Amino acid sequence: MTEQIVFYLLAGVIALSAIGVVTLSNVMHSALCLGLSLAGVAGLFAVLGTDFIFAAQILVYVGGIAVLILFVVLLAGNNSGGKLPRQVNRQWLPALIICTAFIWAFYRITAVYAGSTVKLPPTASVRGIASIMLGEFAVPFELISIVLLASMTGAVLFGRRKPE
Amino acid sequence: MTLYHYLALSGLLFASGVFGVLTRRNIIGILMSIELMLNSANINFAAFNSYLYPDRPLGQVAVIFIITLAAAEVVVGLALVMAIYKNLKSVYAEDYNILKG
Repeated sequence: MTEQIVFYLLAGVIALSAIGVVTLSNVMHSALCLGLSLAGVAGLFAVLGTDFIFAAQILVYVGGIAVLILFVVLLAGNNSGGKLPRQVNRQWLPALIICTAFIWAFYRITAVYAGSTVKLPPTASVRGIASIMLGEFAVPFELISIVLLASMTGAVLFGRRKPE
Repeated sequence: MTLYHYLALSGLLFASGVFGVLTRRNIIGILMSIELMLNSANINFAAFNSYLYPDRPLGQVAVIFIITLAAAEVVVGLALVMAIYKNLKSVYAEDYNILKG
């Protein structure tokens, strides 16, 4: 019962703030909605009992990515008060049709899993994650550090001032 | 709670992300919608892992990889947005036509 209440509260928060991200006209407001939605997804991970990615979601998404997007909105957001121009392009009706068709097809496909409730009580998963990451996923684990290094170098390269 | 609830929520999140990518004019809004889609994939991985394969956390490893790649992607994307904004003084995606020559 408690799990259902928590799940529906989190689902409401996530859905409403995700719709706010894509429909609000002020980019500042939609960035704040994005932070709320990411925090709601973190709460969903906690409900699922996946403890490590709950912490990683809070640290990386809510503490890193949302704050970074807020900084960029403050630097380049174009919201100098007054009336904002139109924030949605002319193709919103075909996009709405595409999304409705996608949701319908997705619900039809995933209806196979409507009855799967078998669930063990959640256990601490950090040890298992570590043994997988240093065992059979060791090569992707090292490759992803190269990707992070390359993205950091790319961000510095794009962000620096042009040498006159 | 069944697995279907989690999948339905992640489908809704993914569809709103697709809607944002297709309709937002602001390039930062498009980046935020991409983050929403990556999060819906994360919910799917975590839910499938804890409902169907609770003995090995392979799905959580995939979620960690996705989080890392999303961080890298958003860093490069926002650096590109800032570089374009310094040149064009615009955040709207339809103004970005300097590659046309």
